[in-house]
Amino acid sequence: MKGIVFTEFLEMIENKFSPEMADRIIEQADLRSGGIYTAVGTYDHSEMIELASRLSDETGIAPAEIMRSFGMYLFERFYTMFPIYFDRVSSSFDFLQRIEGYIHVEVRKLYPEAELPSFACATPHPGCLRLTYRSARPFAVLAEGLIRGCIAHYGEAVDIEVEDLSDGTGTAARFLLTKRDLPP
Amino acid sequence: LSDVEQLKRRLERERQARKAAEAIAEEKTREIYQTNIQLQQLNSRLEELVRQRTAELAAAHDEAVRASQAKSHFLANMSHELRTPLNAIIGIAEMLRDDAVDDDRPDLLEPLERIHRAGHHLLHLINEILDLSKIEAGKLELSLEEVEPASLLRDALVTAEPLAARNGNRLETRFAQDLGRIQTDPLRLRQIVLNLLSNACKFTEQGTVTLEAWREDMDEDRWLVVGVADTGIGMTPDQLDRLFQEFSQADASTTRKYGGTGLGLAISRKLARLMGGDITVESTLGQGSRFVIRIPARTASAMATMPVATADGPREPASAAAKNRVLVIDDEETVRDLMRRFLTREGFEVVTAADGEEGLRLARDLRPALITLDVLMPGLDGWAVLKELTGTPALADIPVVMLTILEEKNRGYALGASDYLTKPIDRDRLRALLGRYCEAAVAKQALVVEDDPDLRAWLCRLLREGGWTVAEAENGRVGLACLAASPTDLVLLDLMMPEIDGFEFLERLRSTEAGRHVPVIVVTAAEMSDRDRQRLNGGVLRILQKGGHDRDQLLAELHALLAAHGSRQAA
Repeated sequence: MKGIVFTEFLEMIENKFSPEMADRIIEQADLRSGGIYTAVGTYDHSEMIELASRLSDETGIAPAEIMRSFGMYLFERFYTMFPIYFDRVSSSFDFLQRIEGYIHVEVRKLYPEAELPSFACATPHPGCLRLTYRSARPFAVLAEGLIRGCIAHYGEAVDIEVEDLSDGTGTAARFLLTKRDLPP
Repeated sequence: LSDVEQLKRRLERERQARKAAEAIAEEKTREIYQTNIQLQQLNSRLEELVRQRTAELAAAHDEAVRASQAKSHFLANMSHELRTPLNAIIGIAEMLRDDAVDDDRPDLLEPLERIHRAGHHLLHLINEILDLSKIEAGKLELSLEEVEPASLLRDALVTAEPLAARNGNRLETRFAQDLGRIQTDPLRLRQIVLNLLSNACKFTEQGTVTLEAWREDMDEDRWLVVGVADTGIGMTPDQLDRLFQEFSQADASTTRKYGGTGLGLAISRKLARLMGGDITVESTLGQGSRFVIRIPARTASAMATMPVATADGPREPASAAAKNRVLVIDDEETVRDLMRRFLTREGFEVVTAADGEEGLRLARDLRPALITLDVLMPGLDGWAVLKELTGTPALADIPVVMLTILEEKNRGYALGASDYLTKPIDRDRLRALLGRYCEAAVAKQALVVEDDPDLRAWLCRLLREGGWTVAEAENGRVGLACLAASPTDLVLLDLMMPEIDGFEFLERLRSTEAGRHVPVIVVTAAEMSDRDRQRLNGGVLRILQKGGHDRDQLLAELHALLAAHGSRQAA
């Protein structure tokens, strides 16, 4: 998993909770990296699960909820850090449909070794987008958070139905996004 | 304290992360550097490869250009090599045919006609191949003239009549009222029309071939349109596609059944395009075809150079002394022979030169009325001779007819040639030209005194063909009687004859006022003794041994002797 996910996660803890909280969970967690992350490095994804689990212990918030919130936070951070990917993108559906064909392509240019999840898109009918997440790692919830963050970013009213495709392991899920008709 | 500890830990983590990031940056930088090196190597390898390939391509290109030049050169040479013997075949076949007619030998006439036809057919094929290669090499020149298309087309139609008759076809014309005049290359236009007409006749049986013509004039856009329609076998769309390609007929079986090289149409279309026009075709299988030629009413002169000297008309003959003297400059012995035979028969005095230097020398010495000049000769070639002739004031007035295998009319005219004939020589055209430039020999009176009737008849015919009016006598007595009746310009005299023999005839002749200066040529089969020669006492121009000459040689010799005699008398 790319280092940026870890550095952003820790920054979120420092901002939303406190630097002490961040230090504490690093100290408590059993991390091969010792909690030393750089955005340009690559680290074992189990460390993310460990960190989320420690934060859950500290705060009492369920790990899934932590990952979902982190996803929403991370999306906004992406917008700040990589505005180029948002150029000429006007809606969440627009953006989400570009993940596989554009954003992941760009990521691979910089990090050829990156193991990225797949995001298959389909439009069963207008106003509806079906995203299918598949990964070697159990981060369907993080993906859901990112999707929600995206919808929030564009300020749209979209209903999300999540269907687990991985018998609860979190490595695959289908998200059915439906635009809500706004009352006139 | 715990805050400090915590900050220290945090600082340490940040420091470590920074170092890790720096290490990653360094690693990435190294990777990029290595990649750059590899790219540079790849680049220079590619550049080297491009250089190699470019060199290979340049070599291949040079090779192709050389090959193409070699091909053109080969074609030019081959055309010369092929047409030279063809000249001889066609020319000699013509001579023999004339002989067969004269000798009333229809049995010989037919095979000679066949040789003549086959020779012409072969010549036609060679010309087609040369035309095509010339067009492709961009070396074909158009000779533009103002012509009346109506008469040009009618002329082509007359030529096509025998072809139409062969397959029982009817020829029809449908010409618009006023086709006016156009500026084009009439020979090439005729070639195209004839090609289409002959194709139409070839592929139609018991049908109709229609030649149509009309004008399409819209302001500056003026065209002559000529259509050739037939009711013949027609073509499939597939056959139409391949129609204008070289060496391609509708299909291979066509070649077997109908003959031909398959070059005609390709050449015709290329010629039409060269003139700024085109040929199109529509056809229905089993119903017939219609070819339409469309050419500009005024072919742009950029596509051709106009002959410059033709408008001046024929030049005046050089001097009165040699009004019927023709100098033939040609390195080919066969051509010189044929020309000598032909011109002698036509009543000209012929002098030949085998190369340019000799030709120039003879031109200066003899001042002929006309010079025929070959182009391709070893040493000084025809162009150089022409330049020298037109550049020498004393010789510049002698008309020069280029007589060559090369089709570079415009160059000839530009250098000052009076006319241009391509080999094999069309005798009718040559005859017409000679008439234009020279005074044909005035018919002269000759007397043949010979007791052998066959030899007498032969000599008489020979002289008549040479433009002489001939009286004949079977012995010296009759000969003297003839002379008394009418004066003569020449006597051909046998020596051994009954009643009055040659010696006595000569003595009596020289004793009369009228006969004192008449040139006498002795034609004898006898070996002359010294005594015999003394008896003749220089009273004769020349002694010719019978059997030692063929008739044309003899005739040429007679002309030469008389010319020499004439100029001596004038001097």
